[in-house]
Amino acid sequence: MSVPTPPGVPAPGSVPAADVRAELRAGMASLAAPEAPSGAAVTSDLSIDETLLLHSIGWVPVDLVNGVSVYAVPGGVWVWSQGEIAPATEAHQRAVGAAVARLRRECEHVGGAGVVGVEVTIEVHPHHVDVELVGTAVRPAVAPPAGRRGHRGPLPEVFVSDLSARDFVLLHGAGWAPLGLAYGTSFVNVPRRSASTALQQRTQNVELANFTNALYSARESGMERMQETALHLGATGVVAVHVAEGPLSFARHAVQFSAWGTAVTLVADAHQRIAPEVVLSLDDRDIAFAAQSLRGR
Amino acid sequence: MTAEPPDAPVPTAAGEAAAGEADVPREAAARLATRSSASALSIPDLAACLEAGLEPVGLVQGFCAMQWAFYGAGSPYLRSASPLSGLPRGAYSEQWACPHGFVSAEHRMWGQNYEQPWVEAAWAQGFGSAFQRMLEEAGDAGAHGVIGVVDTARHLADMNVVEFHVLGTAVVVRDAPPPPGERPWSTYLAGMRLTKLLEAGMMPVSVVAAMVSVRVWASCVTEYLSEGQAYGWGTAGTAEIEQVSRARAAARSLARQRIRDQLGADELHGARAGLDSRELGQGDEVVECTLRGTRVRRFKHVDPLPAPRPTVRLG
Amino acid sequence: MSTTPTAGDLPEDAGHRLEELGEGLFTSDLSVNEFLLVKEAGFHPLGFVMGSSIYHTGVQLRKFSTSQELTKLTEAMYHARELAMTRMEEEADQLGADGIVGVRLDVNYYEWGSDAAEFIAMGTAVKSEDGESYRNAKGKPFTSDLSGQDFWTLMQTGHVPRGLVMGTCVYHIAHRGLGQALGSMGQNVELPNFTQALYEARELAMTRMQDEATELEATGIVGVRLEEKTHQWGSHTIEFLAIGTAVERTGEAVTLPRPTTIISLDN
Repeated sequence: MSVPTPPGVPAPGSVPAADVRAELRAGMASLAAPEAPSGAAVTSDLSIDETLLLHSIGWVPVDLVNGVSVYAVPGGVWVWSQGEIAPATEAHQRAVGAAVARLRRECEHVGGAGVVGVEVTIEVHPHHVDVELVGTAVRPAVAPPAGRRGHRGPLPEVFVSDLSARDFVLLHGAGWAPLGLAYGTSFVNVPRRSASTALQQRTQNVELANFTNALYSARESGMERMQETALHLGATGVVAVHVAEGPLSFARHAVQFSAWGTAVTLVADAHQRIAPEVVLSLDDRDIAFAAQSLRGR
Repeated sequence: MTAEPPDAPVPTAAGEAAAGEADVPREAAARLATRSSASALSIPDLAACLEAGLEPVGLVQGFCAMQWAFYGAGSPYLRSASPLSGLPRGAYSEQWACPHGFVSAEHRMWGQNYEQPWVEAAWAQGFGSAFQRMLEEAGDAGAHGVIGVVDTARHLADMNVVEFHVLGTAVVVRDAPPPPGERPWSTYLAGMRLTKLLEAGMMPVSVVAAMVSVRVWASCVTEYLSEGQAYGWGTAGTAEIEQVSRARAAARSLARQRIRDQLGADELHGARAGLDSRELGQGDEVVECTLRGTRVRRFKHVDPLPAPRPTVRLG
Repeated sequence: MSTTPTAGDLPEDAGHRLEELGEGLFTSDLSVNEFLLVKEAGFHPLGFVMGSSIYHTGVQLRKFSTSQELTKLTEAMYHARELAMTRMEEEADQLGADGIVGVRLDVNYYEWGSDAAEFIAMGTAVKSEDGESYRNAKGKPFTSDLSGQDFWTLMQTGHVPRGLVMGTCVYHIAHRGLGQALGSMGQNVELPNFTQALYEARELAMTRMQDEATELEATGIVGVRLEEKTHQWGSHTIEFLAIGTAVERTGEAVTLPRPTTIISLDN
């Protein structure tokens, strides 16, 4: 037993196994019962495992929320010149920023404490950057979200995280909390090679230093921007960083580097070790995780 | 329960009309009468369902082939006329006026986003009929519920035909009274996930789905922004393409609303959203959002569960 | 080999391999996990068995605007698979097997023959360790496409596999006449004839599958898959294939132990 048990939550093994057949009958009987007056319906894209995991730390799903933004990239920015392609970078940064802000607003509006399992879709087209964020707003079942504090001070009202509900629960157990989405991007022109260099390199095994340098420069600025957003959120770390990098399909002379992840901070007094148990599985199918039953035996 | 089935996944009148017909073909009825029952469940799902007292009685399915035409695919002849003449607007529509005060045959004087209820009605009819036919097959087999539902909508090659297909495994619960209104309950879940749902105090009511279609007729600003020609029109280079952003957000929000309208006081579990935006050129596009999930009823309060044990797998 | 392929016509080369397997060595395409679970279910693998048939499918004329079953093609698809399956069963029979698990049925098209295809079936022959016979109502080894894990789980529920059953129907979907297409242009409406045709094709496939199960005196079919293939006939001619494992209830279910609640840290 390693994930700390919140007050009021039974320890594993202390609850008898449920009689599923009896539950089924009770459930079917409820279908025949007169319908309750329509209330605020909960909608969620969490799986039952994720719902149960959240439930085990006393959190519940509230509503599906989304944040969308499409930003224009001005014409003419993809002509081959030098250095960072600032307008493209700016469009990308602002599109993600606007989408995150909208997601957060929707979450506040439905009374969530944060959004977990945010699916991040970013598409870069020659003339526009499309960002779509979709996730499920969640909140603690009893305590109001206000008053969340990290060791560096109060936490933002509402967090946005692309971590799954499972990861959120694991982090929670270890004493950490997500603060928001950290993101950074950079588009950089690959410097031209001189005609003589290009000719020389045609038949040799050589490093294409111009490409290497361009990627390095994009990576450095992109990562730096991501770190800035994380620091701005008061984070002590960024976990599960996703990276998209490489030349653009429509502009081979330009390279893109984008990174995003969840900014986290320690909210407990100290990190809680989770001490995992080692198991041997006889299952070939890759099941990422399974909260296999409500009640252990 | 009210007289009206609370959970038909058909948000519009057109869909409900289609859902009323009793039209399981002869062939299906004959097959369901045979002795051995088929099930589309995987073996682990089957084992979990048998343990919960759910006995499969047959693989049930429903189809609906719909003629599918695309509307107003960016026709240049329609540029100067309002596309909305004589068509219902739906719940969402917005207009953008040209800020330039410039009159020309090539320059767009207005832009519009609007919901396309007729496309949604056709989708609802296709999905609703296929779903209803599946439920009728299940009803004929004396089922209490249909589990492990899978639905697809696919374009048949080169025919402008979309085929809706809904498939599931009909189950009975021994000695249980028939479902209210003789209408079997249904869910996308099966197996362990279903039994866990029951253990968590939630009973599936019905599969629910909704599709929202929003058409974007680009305004001049949207057109220039999405073509990278913003220069010369007094627009800053990097700017949000507000019209497109709003259309996509509206499609998602409306889909959520349509699902909510089918939920009553119940919850939506395991939602899956799909967003498809098809560019029709010059900033025009059609945004289609499909949202589906299982409507579940909470039949008891469940105390928090024991925290799970973290494990690392060998091998 | 006779000109009309029938049962009992295994190519000679197959014999030697099987003789060697008779001497205590076994081969199997089961993973270690599957192997252990098959043993857990009380079975021992005997050998990797297969059967194949290169089949030339005939030609059948289709009416442009009529939806109909193409019976000649249906028969061809059926017969070819049957041949491959039967040859695989014969190999298993020679090993004295009770059944074959993990059966895979594939169709391969080769460049050297138009309208010719190889139908191939392979799996692992197994024999019960308690000496009881698990052969089916036809006295043949059972076949099933279940993995080792699924096989063990199924046995736990008090069912035994009886045979891999399938039904197929090759169907031609009518082209729509120009008049028809124009008449309904711009409207999204149901096309009842299409719906009916697609229903009929799939129901025929499903019914044939269930008939096979009934012949085996099965009480159910599990893991049914519905597949649609156009093979090489063009987009309007579709093979609808229903396939699953026929099972029979033989005993009471062993109550599975309730899994404990875990959260895996594996990616």
